[in-house]
Amino acid sequence: MERKVLYLDYLTCIGCETCETVCGFIHDNNPFIKIYVTENKQYLPINCKHCEDAPCLRICPTEAIYRDTEGAVRINEKRCIGCLACLQVCPYGVPFYSLKVRAITKCDMCAERREEGLEPACALMCPAEAIHYGPLEMVLELVNERRAKNIPEHQKELSAEELRKSILSGYVIL
Amino acid sequence: MKGMKFSFLCKNKPQQTGKRIAIIGAGPAGLTAAGYLVCKGHDVDIYDKLPEPGGLMLFVIPEFRIPVERVRLGAKELEEEFEVTYYPRTKVMEGDREDEGDEFYERKIALSELIEKYDAVLIATGIWNVRRIGIPGDDLEGILSPLELLFWIKGAELGYVPKEKVPKLEGKRVGIIGAGLTAVDTAFECNRLGADVTIFYRRTIREAPAGAYEINILRNRGVKWFELVTPKRVIGENGRVKAIELLRTRLGEPDETGRRRPVPIEGSEFQVELDYLVFAIGMAPTPPVNSSYIATDRRGRILVDSRHMTNFEGVFAAGDVVNGPTKVGRAIKDGLYAAVSMDKWLRGES
Repeated sequence: MERKVLYLDYLTCIGCETCETVCGFIHDNNPFIKIYVTENKQYLPINCKHCEDAPCLRICPTEAIYRDTEGAVRINEKRCIGCLACLQVCPYGVPFYSLKVRAITKCDMCAERREEGLEPACALMCPAEAIHYGPLEMVLELVNERRAKNIPEHQKELSAEELRKSILSGYVIL
Repeated sequence: MKGMKFSFLCKNKPQQTGKRIAIIGAGPAGLTAAGYLVCKGHDVDIYDKLPEPGGLMLFVIPEFRIPVERVRLGAKELEEEFEVTYYPRTKVMEGDREDEGDEFYERKIALSELIEKYDAVLIATGIWNVRRIGIPGDDLEGILSPLELLFWIKGAELGYVPKEKVPKLEGKRVGIIGAGLTAVDTAFECNRLGADVTIFYRRTIREAPAGAYEINILRNRGVKWFELVTPKRVIGENGRVKAIELLRTRLGEPDETGRRRPVPIEGSEFQVELDYLVFAIGMAPTPPVNSSYIATDRRGRILVDSRHMTNFEGVFAAGDVVNGPTKVGRAIKDGLYAAVSMDKWLRGES
């Protein structure tokens, strides 16, 4: 299957919290995607970047973290021993230990929905079109098409190189 | 560009339940509720006074924040794939009341008529009234409502409002009172149209609800930011705005919102000359009733129980008409959870 990217465009996010809402709705009120608000009210949606070179996947002692055929970094709950090593190495502090699941949980790019042929809910519902899901080239095109509609201060073009870097190991471009 | 997928929970139209639902208001709450309900097999009709579904997202929020196409394609998908029927330019109202955006509607239906015709009704009519400030001179010509100004600007771009209706703002001095999201959106649009914009706020940039980040973008463009001032009266000449008289304020003890209360300083009056003045100090809910038919609180918000149901069995409410002005995502959340309750109630589970 083709590799997919889930890209959150910080320059386009309006902080409306729709992504958190729909993610929480399908995940028992525990959204994986969260909006971080700076003191001067800049909105940064934070979610697993499914890094190309994922530190969590490398550090997991029980090999409970794996990459699925579409590129999502996933957790095999049965193998997870709850050592939290993944949380320590994640640049975003994304992995979350769930007492209910008794394992680390995090965004799996809506794995269950993808099996039914549905795309990640956050990307489908974001009113601002700040969340893009699809193959890298398509995402690059969509990000730039959307940024062109933004205020001049936020119209910076995203290069293929920057996008590749940003999904390589969680490097963020603002 | 792809549209918002309000029916994000399902791929195709499921088997029909035969239940009919009326949603009043095609904004984020109404459309999201519709998306959930069609995925549960209900037949949904949406009534809205505007000429096209989308609500504030389409007619008021500037294009750079929420693109028109994003909302338009989303509403269209509900219509084409899930057979949602829209009744645009239709105001639902029990009794009479004038709201902003009323110039668009051509038909009026009583809420009671919908309650009779449908198995369940969702009220998601939002906040289409602007709070008045109540100072001398606040009814002079040249004083604009932020809601009206924003939907004239966007409505003209969408082809629904004649271009002449939009005030010619180029080179004009526009004063905006307030520092919330509506104030900032108004400032962005007026600045884009070439106006000389000044924002007046009674607290400081640190307390501004819109945040220092966006306000500083505006300041970098030449928008003037005036903090710790509060309007005292509007000065007119031949019935038109000429200037605003302001009082300086200082910050006192924190109020119930936790922000320090602005205290006007006696004798600190000064005037700023203006051509237009916009009071962006808040918006008020516009429920489709003006009586006790549906219970509201003293701020006009519809009262609902934990199921999002109003005092009227089978009539639900969601979004800004329940919560007052908030973010799009909160309206979406409310619409989504209200729809879950409606589906349960229709199935006899609650």
